[in-house]
Amino acid sequence: MTTIRQRGIFLVGLAASAVVAAAAFAQPAKPPDVDAVLSHLDDLYRSKSSIARIEMIVTGARSMRTMRLKAWTRGEDDALIVVEAPAREEGTATLRVGPNLWNYLPRIARTIRVPPSMMLGSWMGTDFTNDDLVKESSLHKDFESRIDRRSDSPPGWWLTLTVKPGIVGRWARIEILISDDGWLPLQERHFDRKGRLARTMAFDEIRMLGGRRVPAHLVLAPTDVEGQRTEMRYLDLQFDARIPDDTFSLSRLERSRQ
Amino acid sequence: MATPLPTTWRIAWRNLWRNPRRTGLALAAIGLSVTLVLIYDGVLRWEAGWMVDTITGPMLGHVQAHAPEWRKTRAMEKTLRDVTKTVAALRADPGVAGVDARVYAPALAALGEEGFAIMVIGVDVAEAARPARLLQGVTTRIGTREVLMGNLLAAQMGVKPGDRIAVVGQGVDGSLANDLLTVRALISTPVDSVNRQALIMPIRDAQDLFAMSDEAHELVIYGRDVEQAKALAAGLQRLPALSGAEVLDWQAAQPGMYELVRLVEVMWVFILVLVFVAAAAGVANTALMSTFERTHEFGMLLALGTTPSRIVGMIVLESLALGATGALLGTALGSALVAWAYRTGIDYAALTGGGPTNLSAFGMNFSLVIYPWLTAVDIVRVVAAVMVTSLVASVWPALRAARLQPARALRE
Amino acid sequence: MAWVSGQYAIRSVGRNIRRTILSIVGIAVGCVLALFMESMNRGRGELFARAGSSSGVGHVRIVPAGWRERRDSRLRLADWEADLAAARAVPGVAFATARARAQALLAVGTHVVPVELTGVQPEIEPHMFRYVQTVRQGRYLRAGEAGSIVLGRALVDRLTADLDDDIVATTVGPGGDIQSALFRLVGIVETGNDDSDSAVCQVAIEDVQRLTQFPGAGEVSLVLGDYRRIDAVRAQLASRVARGDDVMTLSESAPDIEGHLNQDSAVTRIVSWIILLIVLLGVASAQLAAVLERRREFAVLAALGMSGPRLVGLVVQEALMLGAGGAVVGIAAGVPIIWRFAHSGIDLSSYVGGSYSFQGVLFDPIIYGDFGWWIPGYVTAVSLVATIVASLYPAWYASRTDPAVALRVAQ
Repeated sequence: MTTIRQRGIFLVGLAASAVVAAAAFAQPAKPPDVDAVLSHLDDLYRSKSSIARIEMIVTGARSMRTMRLKAWTRGEDDALIVVEAPAREEGTATLRVGPNLWNYLPRIARTIRVPPSMMLGSWMGTDFTNDDLVKESSLHKDFESRIDRRSDSPPGWWLTLTVKPGIVGRWARIEILISDDGWLPLQERHFDRKGRLARTMAFDEIRMLGGRRVPAHLVLAPTDVEGQRTEMRYLDLQFDARIPDDTFSLSRLERSRQ
Repeated sequence: MATPLPTTWRIAWRNLWRNPRRTGLALAAIGLSVTLVLIYDGVLRWEAGWMVDTITGPMLGHVQAHAPEWRKTRAMEKTLRDVTKTVAALRADPGVAGVDARVYAPALAALGEEGFAIMVIGVDVAEAARPARLLQGVTTRIGTREVLMGNLLAAQMGVKPGDRIAVVGQGVDGSLANDLLTVRALISTPVDSVNRQALIMPIRDAQDLFAMSDEAHELVIYGRDVEQAKALAAGLQRLPALSGAEVLDWQAAQPGMYELVRLVEVMWVFILVLVFVAAAAGVANTALMSTFERTHEFGMLLALGTTPSRIVGMIVLESLALGATGALLGTALGSALVAWAYRTGIDYAALTGGGPTNLSAFGMNFSLVIYPWLTAVDIVRVVAAVMVTSLVASVWPALRAARLQPARALRE
Repeated sequence: MAWVSGQYAIRSVGRNIRRTILSIVGIAVGCVLALFMESMNRGRGELFARAGSSSGVGHVRIVPAGWRERRDSRLRLADWEADLAAARAVPGVAFATARARAQALLAVGTHVVPVELTGVQPEIEPHMFRYVQTVRQGRYLRAGEAGSIVLGRALVDRLTADLDDDIVATTVGPGGDIQSALFRLVGIVETGNDDSDSAVCQVAIEDVQRLTQFPGAGEVSLVLGDYRRIDAVRAQLASRVARGDDVMTLSESAPDIEGHLNQDSAVTRIVSWIILLIVLLGVASAQLAAVLERRREFAVLAALGMSGPRLVGLVVQEALMLGAGGAVVGIAAGVPIIWRFAHSGIDLSSYVGGSYSFQGVLFDPIIYGDFGWWIPGYVTAVSLVATIVASLYPAWYASRTDPAVALRVAQ
C-alpha cells in the first residue's frame, strides 16, 4: 500500500496536451512514442495559473441542468469558482485555499465553511468526485503504457495504460484514443480495479484556447447508471493568466458578483 | 325462612369462618398472589403497548412506503411521485388511521461561518403532532421560512430560538438549495438522531427548498391496530397507488427493534410464570392444609351418617369458596392499584432506587414511567386459575376424606 | 431446659405429619423461587460482562483524555504502547489490544461508501470482538500484514466488490488534506444484519496510522479472566497508564445498560420478596391452625406456669424446626435446579432471533444463573427468617391463651 499525498484545487481539465504548432501530422503508420504522449496529456490543461469560463451540463435520470461557471486557479492549492448561470444560482461561489473550502451563497448573503467530512463526496451533483478535482496524479508517472492498436475512424491510436503496482487510485486500467493530429484525447475508458468498465469520457470540439489547441468539450458518463452524464465545455480559457493576489480571499468571495 | 343457597354451600361457607383468623391469613395469601399477578399483567400490557407505540409512533409508523432503493442508498432523487394523490388514497383505506409524508435531505447548516452536517426532515406537521408521534406535545405554529431544531443540534451549534441560520443542500435536480431560516423552537423528541441532527419543517417548504414537485421520500402510515401492521402492509402493497413502491411493516423495517420488544416481553412473561407458580403453590398449600387438619371433624360427620359424596362436595366447595373469596379480594385490590397507577404512573427509576429514567436503544429514548392497565380477560384468567388450583388442590384431601373410616378418623 | 423444649418441639411437629410436610414443602417452594430469582440477578452481572467482552468494548478500557465528554474517533492516547504494556502486565488480564479509528470513504470504481475504519491488532482482535471470529468468505487479517481489509457483507455489496478486490480508502488528514490508500479485501464477515455488517471494517492498526497520519492508538481494551475483578484492575491501571490517559470500566462505558440491569434486578428482588410473603402467609395460616388445634395443650402449659414469652418461644422453636426442614428441602431441590441453570442457562435467542446489539454492545440472550457457595446460606437464611416471621402472629396468639377460657371450650 502506498499513500499518495494529494493536494488539490479544482482541476480545469483532464488529459491531453498540445504540442501546439509542432510537427503537425505524424505519419499514420508510425506509432508515436508513448512517454512523450503521456507527458503531453498530463500537461494539456496545466499551467501555473488560469482563468476559464466553463459550461457544465449534468444529465440525470430525471433532469438536465446547465450551469455556466467562471474559474480562477493558482498553483495547486487555490481556486475560486463563481456560478454565472442559471439565474437562480448566479453569484454562488466556492473558494478553496489550501485545505479550507468555503461556499458563498448570494441569495442569503452568507459564507459557510464546509467541514472536512463533507469534502469527500461528489462535487456539486456532478459525476466528478473530489478525487478527480483534486488529484495530482500523473498518467505519465502512475501508469505503464503501450500502444494497443490503430484506429482508422477517427484516425488515431489506442493506448492502454496499466496502473503501476503500488500506485493508489481507483483505475486499474485506462484506455485512451489519441488523435493523429496533435495527440489530443478523443476518448477515454476507465476500468476499475476489478477490470470492469466504470466510466467513459469523450472529447471533441478541438480548437484554440488560450494559445493551445485542446478539446473544448468533454463528456463523462458512468457505465452502470442509466442516462447519467456530465458535460463540460470551455467557453474561454487563459493559461498562465495574471490573477490579482487578492482574488483568493473571503472578501473577494463575497464581492464576486460581477 | 327460605334457604336461598343449597345446604351444602351454606355449611361450606360457615365452615370457612369457624376459624376466622386462619381463614383470614389464607385469604390474605391468595389475595396477595392474585394482586401480584394482576399488577404484573398490567405492566406487561403496558410494556407491550407502550414500547411498540414509542418505537412506531415517531419515526417508523406501523407501515412505511418508499421508492425502491431509497432505504439502501438514501439518494435524494429516489422519491415517490404524486404523493398528494397517494396520501389521499391511503387515507381513504379503512385500515389507515393516519399518513405522514416525509422528505429527508442531508444539508449543511450554519449560524455563523461554521457549517454543520444536518438532516432536513419535511413532515406533515398536523399528523406528526398527534399523540405518540414525532412532534407530540409541540404546539408552536411553524410559519414560512421557519423550522424546529433538535435540542442537541442547537446546543452543538450554539443556536437559540429566534436565530436565523443558513441552510445549504442539493435539490433533487442537483441544483443548489439554500435559504435563510428562522429557528422557531427547539424540540426534544424520543428519537435521538432527530435531536442530534435534524431541522424539521413542513413538507411543502422542504419540497420547495429542494426543488421537489409533488414528491416524498417516505410515507409513514399508521393503522388502527399496531398488531395488524403486517396484514396492513400486505394489503397496502396491493393498492395501485403504491404499486411501484416498497411497502414494509415496521418489524421488517427495523428487525432489531422488534427483537428488543420481544426480548423484554419474554423476560417479563418469564417472571410472570414464576409469580403464577408461587401463587398456585400458595393456594394449593392453603387448601390442602385447611382440609387435612379437619380429619377428626370429617370422621364425626361420617359417623353421623353424612354420605362420603356430601363430604367431598363440602370440601370441594369450601376450597372453591376460599379460592373465590381470595381471588375477589385480590382482584379488588389489584384492580384498584392498577387503576391508581394508571392515573399517576409508576416511576420505574424511583421504584427501583435510581438508575436511568430513560431506556435508550436503537436511537430511541423510551421514558420509563409505567402506566399499567388491565382487560377483563386478565382478571378472568387469574380468577379462573385460582379456582382451578383450589379445585385441584382439594381433590386429594376430598378423596381421602371420603374413604375415611369414621372410627379411625375420630381418634385423630 | 432448652433440650427438653427442643424435644417437645420435635414431638409437636411430628404430631401432624401432613401439616408439617405441607408447611415444609410450602417453605421450600418459596425458597427455591427466591433462590432462582437471586441466582438470575447475579447472573445478570455476568451477562453484562460477557457482552462487554465479546463486543469489543472490553471489561476495562484505556481512553484518551476528553474521551468521556466527546467520543471523537480522532482522539489519540498519550502513550499507547506504554498503556498496552501496563495493561498486559496487570494480573488477571486475559487479552489486551489497541485500536485506532478513522472516518473514511471506500471506493470501487464509481461506487462509494462512507465508513468508520477500525485499525486493529489482528492476532488479538478476534478474542475480543465476536463478529470477526468467523469470517464467512476468505480469511481474517494476519499479524504483520499490511494493506488488507476485512468488511461486513452489507458494505461489500454496496461497493459491488468481491474477495481479493482492491479498494481505495480516502480520508481527511490532520491538515485538512485528502489522503488515500489501497486495501485488498481478504475477508468478508456476515453478521446477519446490515447495520452490524456496516460496523465491521477492519484493517491493521499500522495502516490507519499511516493513512491518517495520526500516530498512535485511540483506545486500549482489556478482557479479564474474571469479570468480578473489573474494579480492582481499574484501580491498578489508573496509576500505571501514561499521564493524561483515562481508564474506564465497562459500567462507565455503558452506564445505561448497567443501570437497566440493576433496575431489573431490583424489580426481581421485590418480586421474590412478595412471593416469599405469599408463602409466609400460607405458612402462618397453617401455624395458626396448629396453635388453635392445641389450645388445650397450651392452656395446660399456661396453667402449669409457663409464661407468655416462653409460650412464644415454644411456637417459634417449632417454627424454626419447620424452617430448618424447609431449608434442607429447599437446598436439596434448589441446588440441582440452579446448577442446571448455571450450566445450560436459559436461552432466549429462539424468541429473539440470535444475538442483538444494544447501545453498541452485543448481547447473547442467554442468561446463566450464578452457582456458588452462597446458595446454602441464602436458602437457610431466607427459610428461617420467613418461618420466624410467619410464626410471630400464631406465637403471639398462643401466648395470650387464657387457661381458664381455653380449658373450658371444647375442641
